[in-house]
Amino acid sequence: MEILNFRTIMLFLGLLMIITGCYCLIRTYHMLKIIIGIEIGMKAVTMFLVLAGYINGHMGLAQAYVITVIVLEVVITLVAAGVTIGLYKKYGDMDIRNLTKLKG
Amino acid sequence: MEVIIYVSLVFLLIFCVMAVMSHSILKSAVYLALASVMLGVIMYVLGAHWAAVFEISVCSGLVTVIFISAISLSKIKHDEIQKLYEHKKRSAYLPAVLIIGGVLIAAAAMAADFTLPEAAAAISEEFRETLWNTRQADILGQIIAILAGGMAVVVLFQNDEVKK
Amino acid sequence: MDYLQYAAESFVLLPLAAIALNNICPKKFMEDHFHILPAAVSVLQMAAAVFALCFMDVRHLTAYDFSVLWNVSVPGAEFFSIHPVSIIFLFCIGLVSFVSVMIAIRTVDTKKRSYVSLLMTLLISMNCMVLVNDLFSLYVFMDVIGVSSFVMIAMFQSRKGLEGSIKYLVISELASIFIISGLAFIFMKTGSLSFKDVGSALLSDPSDSRTLLIYAALILIIAGFSIKTGAVPFHSWLPDAHQSADTSISVLLSGIVIKIAGVYGFVVLTTLFNGVRAIHVSLAVIGIITIITGALLALQQNHFKRIVAYSSVSQMGYILLGLSTGSTLGLIGAIAHVFSHAVFKSTLFTNAAAIHEQTGTLEIDEMGGLERKMPVTSFSSVIAFLSTAGIPPFAGFWSKLLIIMALWLSGNQVLAGFALCASIFTAAYFLRLQRKVFFGPTPDHLSSVTEIKGSIRFVEILLTVITSASGILFPLILIFLQSKGLV
Repeated sequence: MEILNFRTIMLFLGLLMIITGCYCLIRTYHMLKIIIGIEIGMKAVTMFLVLAGYINGHMGLAQAYVITVIVLEVVITLVAAGVTIGLYKKYGDMDIRNLTKLKG
Repeated sequence: MEVIIYVSLVFLLIFCVMAVMSHSILKSAVYLALASVMLGVIMYVLGAHWAAVFEISVCSGLVTVIFISAISLSKIKHDEIQKLYEHKKRSAYLPAVLIIGGVLIAAAAMAADFTLPEAAAAISEEFRETLWNTRQADILGQIIAILAGGMAVVVLFQNDEVKK
Repeated sequence: MDYLQYAAESFVLLPLAAIALNNICPKKFMEDHFHILPAAVSVLQMAAAVFALCFMDVRHLTAYDFSVLWNVSVPGAEFFSIHPVSIIFLFCIGLVSFVSVMIAIRTVDTKKRSYVSLLMTLLISMNCMVLVNDLFSLYVFMDVIGVSSFVMIAMFQSRKGLEGSIKYLVISELASIFIISGLAFIFMKTGSLSFKDVGSALLSDPSDSRTLLIYAALILIIAGFSIKTGAVPFHSWLPDAHQSADTSISVLLSGIVIKIAGVYGFVVLTTLFNGVRAIHVSLAVIGIITIITGALLALQQNHFKRIVAYSSVSQMGYILLGLSTGSTLGLIGAIAHVFSHAVFKSTLFTNAAAIHEQTGTLEIDEMGGLERKMPVTSFSSVIAFLSTAGIPPFAGFWSKLLIIMALWLSGNQVLAGFALCASIFTAAYFLRLQRKVFFGPTPDHLSSVTEIKGSIRFVEILLTVITSASGILFPLILIFLQSKGLV
């Protein structure tokens, strides 16, 4: 089929990865798995940026974007891990079902 | 080139799904690192050499180190994690959601006759010139983000001196 | 001596200098006098905003481009730019930061140096977000705002603070992933993401299959910014995050962060993609649902700060309605509402801080009759309530009037009617709050409560004066805008 080139498949798989990341954020019970969900989403975004750079030829600009996104991803992982460790020290385990103090 | 991309994409998706579905958090971190390596391979083949090196060294290196230090700081023994979640059978929701979502997206794309065009002629711009000459505000943003992250480490990992 | 350039560069250089100074000076000195440095920076920022507006008006400029630490003459270099819209946002940032520092003098007891550093990081990222000219830099600074606010909420290591921070983190990062995916889809079609290259022209070629991508990108970007603004149905993080933070940080979050991270994104989106009818319809739908749901949910709450947080959700709906008209009058109404909401929301959180300091509780069922004990607090709270409900002559009346007039003139009479009737809900939940907290009989355990003194009282009086003065002087601003041909 003419429409099935690797670029379209890459876009499709990127969307599946974002769905995976959202599923992980919503359905997990372990606090560190939340960070894994965010990381998977950011990897999908990195893939989209590189694909965009490949399609329109501006690979230098796309790489600049990707590196900035990776730096932000590391900072966010660090802050999330810090808050999670703080919660572990208060509650004793990493279960997200302990967080019931603020009602919705 | 296309074969490498297809194989890496398949492995990337498999590793991501296994990272989400695994019951042991340590194995999830390892699967995430492997997924980063696969993504780095894809980026290298597409021509983003600098971004591929950065991705492999930072994401599958630094982020995995942060994860494993967070896991070890929480001091739950490895087999205790297994005991906590052993009674939960491995839920099959994620592959089901992915397959349904994939079918819906593929049907919508085929109905709209959607395709991405060929790669345009590569404009020869050097990545280092682009980053330092045209994206200075992003560099300022990165510096401020790293400052904020540094202060986060100081504030959040500090033991409280004041006893309640 | 280019004064305009000094005023413009100070928005970026002052917070950086403050961070450096804060960490270099000896710790004991900074901890004892920690409020001087950020208060000075905020006041200087407000002054610089006013001066920049005057200088730009004198020179008849509508936009001024500058760069801070790098050489702007290299071709293609990035630059910051100020227009009157961003100057009003910068003034609001300075005002709310000043209020936050004044509250922090009384409520922040530990980790004062880190508080100052994080506040300066938040300030510089908010300043740069309204100054940039590029969609990707907008995303970068929005993410840095997010990181700074997560750390500030979790900073004091209370159980509620950490829980609110992690809930806010998860949902805000989901929004960031949506926004950057949308930007990546736009980048697939055009070669760059700067403001001059992105516009409605992207949607003009229906035969190209990438137009479907641009529509998907718009959906993702609108969803992402709605989550950041706290619009319904993505509002669930907002009351938790704003209630569980320390009051000086709740002021920042509710008074300015949801507006810069969320509303300014919508302002950019509607300015770049003007004429796209789908954006106007979706913003109007989100706006009207937000107003009504926020007000109805606020009626059921029993915690002072939670009621105020739901009130923020409801007022964001008004701003989105103003932006959804697509006309200049709607934009002016929305920005006026940003300013008046910043002032009256800060007043309400200052009252919460005062009540918490003096009585030790924030559950409204335990309070009553505080009007006799704390007259200044109750007077400023009544003024803030009248401004929220849109009663003349306060600032909230004018901004709501502009939004409703813009809706009427652009043909959405039904929405204008709904927005007018929703003011009744606003009055309802605030009347309930006032009656339970300030009027009525005083319970016994509160009989020795006295009025708050010092910086919090000063801020309450200052904010009340600003609300009244800007309300009374608003017709002058309208005459000035009419002379420019904008109204």
